[in-house]
Amino acid sequence: MSETSEVLLKTDKLTKSYTMGKRDVRALSNLSFQVNKGEFVAIMGPSGSGKTTLLNILGCIDKPTSGQILLDGVDVAGLPESELYKIRRNKIGFVFQTFNLLPYLNARENVELPMEGKIKSKTERKQKASELLAMVGLSGREEHRPQRLSAGEQQRVAIARALANDPAIILADEPTGNLDGKNKREIVGLLANLNIKQGTTIVMVTHDSQVASHTERLLLLNDGKITKEKRGLHLNKKSA
Amino acid sequence: MGVVTRAVRNIARRKIRALLVIIALGFCMAIMIAIPSGVMANQASTEALTQNLSNTITQTEASINQTLTQIDCSLSSGMEGFGFAPPDSGSSRFTPGQSGNSSFTPWQFGGGTRPGEFGGGAFGIGGTTPMNESLYDDISSIDGVAAVAPFLQVSEGHNQTITAPNGMSFTRLVPEYIIEGLPLTSDFIGNYPILPSNITAGRNLQAGDSGVVLLSENNTAYFGAGVGDTVTILDQEFTVIGIHGSTGVSDVTTLYMNLSDAQSLTNNTGYITGLYVFANDSSTVNNIASAISSLHPELTVSTAQQRLDQLQSLQSGYSTALDNAEASVSQTQATATQEIIVVVAATSLIVLFVMLYTVRERTKEIGTLKAIGFSNLTVMSQFMLEGVLISLIAALVGIAIATVAAPTLSSLLLPAVNPFAGRVVVSNGSSAANLATVTVDPQLMLIAFGAAVLLGAMGTLYPAWRAARIRPAEAMRYE
Repeated sequence: MSETSEVLLKTDKLTKSYTMGKRDVRALSNLSFQVNKGEFVAIMGPSGSGKTTLLNILGCIDKPTSGQILLDGVDVAGLPESELYKIRRNKIGFVFQTFNLLPYLNARENVELPMEGKIKSKTERKQKASELLAMVGLSGREEHRPQRLSAGEQQRVAIARALANDPAIILADEPTGNLDGKNKREIVGLLANLNIKQGTTIVMVTHDSQVASHTERLLLLNDGKITKEKRGLHLNKKSA
Repeated sequence: MGVVTRAVRNIARRKIRALLVIIALGFCMAIMIAIPSGVMANQASTEALTQNLSNTITQTEASINQTLTQIDCSLSSGMEGFGFAPPDSGSSRFTPGQSGNSSFTPWQFGGGTRPGEFGGGAFGIGGTTPMNESLYDDISSIDGVAAVAPFLQVSEGHNQTITAPNGMSFTRLVPEYIIEGLPLTSDFIGNYPILPSNITAGRNLQAGDSGVVLLSENNTAYFGAGVGDTVTILDQEFTVIGIHGSTGVSDVTTLYMNLSDAQSLTNNTGYITGLYVFANDSSTVNNIASAISSLHPELTVSTAQQRLDQLQSLQSGYSTALDNAEASVSQTQATATQEIIVVVAATSLIVLFVMLYTVRERTKEIGTLKAIGFSNLTVMSQFMLEGVLISLIAALVGIAIATVAAPTLSSLLLPAVNPFAGRVVVSNGSSAANLATVTVDPQLMLIAFGAAVLLGAMGTLYPAWRAARIRPAEAMRYE
């Protein structure tokens, strides 16, 4: 966790520019930082500061204009799509604000999805998905489709799905953005628990300082640059 | 949860849309099956027609050649009702119907199978005029005449109204059977070919036979009788003495009996409908014919040569009709090709647009799948499979529709072909006549299945490729 100094993720002069009409917009500007294994990092910043862009680039679903990203020792910035999908499947777990569960699959099938390319045995996939659902507190809800689950439960399914392939890092984009107070606390508690008990590395984008207060490190992003960094927060870690 | 299950669930997710698409594609597939079926039926019908006409004309020609000494005489009454129906080919009939200006005497080609008569169907039905047999005794005294055989020929049947594809309707007499009475004396039977030659059961008529009848093998079903049975004809009972077959044609419905029996049965005692005049030598036939015409100008007289000439004229007419039929089949094929191209394009476009819409609708889902580690290939195969699966279900629906509605579809889509212009009509064969039966060939079904896979794959290729090319980060932003 925070004590370990092994670097899992490292960016070097990461830049992302868009062209909007005739105007060049720089979403990320020479961003360099690193995340160690077992860290729970929150990224905060105003709208348009580049939080989601950064998370997408870290998650290999978007490409930087320039710069380097080392994920688990691999420079992913230059990899082609034919390699990137394997990185996403094996090393990254995504948690989205809108959960992004497939409505025509039940909770277990949603969790099984990322395992398809990795675990051949159907039984094994099924068993692992059930275990993960139990871990996020959804025992007995395996066969329920997303529309029959509450928002909090759907996000739990999404977290279980993110954990499906034992990823090196979980990237969570506003995971509590669509949740009410109670569910928000439960989900952030669940993430914190994963970090503490299982040593899962988590990078979470959030608007909510209360949610961020569960993490041990906070990066403040403004105009595509890290303007501030706070460490040693984890105020609620004990209660998590 | 495999890719197939996901594809099935995705299709089932939007049931109404899937249903509409499947019905639309199903109709396209049905059309793809029905059009070739219709073309094949047209071809088969035309071929059968050509073959039957050719057989009939050849046989008739041979028959006429065997009766070079025979002169046929009848009292004409305007020749109304002359018809020519070639042998029933099972699925197609060719019936010009009335041709009042024909130079054939109605009774000449009366469906008999004796040499000198047309054997190919219901010729000369109706229009025969009974004549007093005693008025023609003088013919036998003409020089060179060997024998004069009077006969009575009466058709029994019902009127049928036929509506042609162009809406024109007409009525014709559909003969159920033709009664022919012949003088059953040993002189005639022994020396002249007045009776059918091919007896398939029982025996032929003999001199002095009365109260017996020689049925055509095509009459047996109508009367429900065989050799030795009793049949009721115009309320009188006759014993079936034998059955005669056709001379290679199948539509002969003439039954033979003693002339006096026929006269009494049809209330024509003392009356006949024609005479077979036999010359001693074929070289005197023309002179005898002229003499008959001089003595009895009211009679229509025809010699074997005249019958051959008339046959040639008829043959020429039908050759033109067949040429027209063939041209029409070619035109049908051209139309069919164009329609199939349109249907193939429509099928591909339906699949293309539906799948493009689906891809657009599921952009976020695609983004999610890629974000959690699905490869471009997996995403592409997922959509390809969905497109092909929909097309396969549509193919099944199409085959079902085609099995039921191929005749209707092909008659709607292929040019309505008029048999009277030598063209061929496609229909289900259940209505009156002039129709070619459209049946769906199992091979066509297999081809339709293959086409469904191919068109489904073709139509889905681009949408699936687009789905695979979607950049996940952009897809995640898509609402």
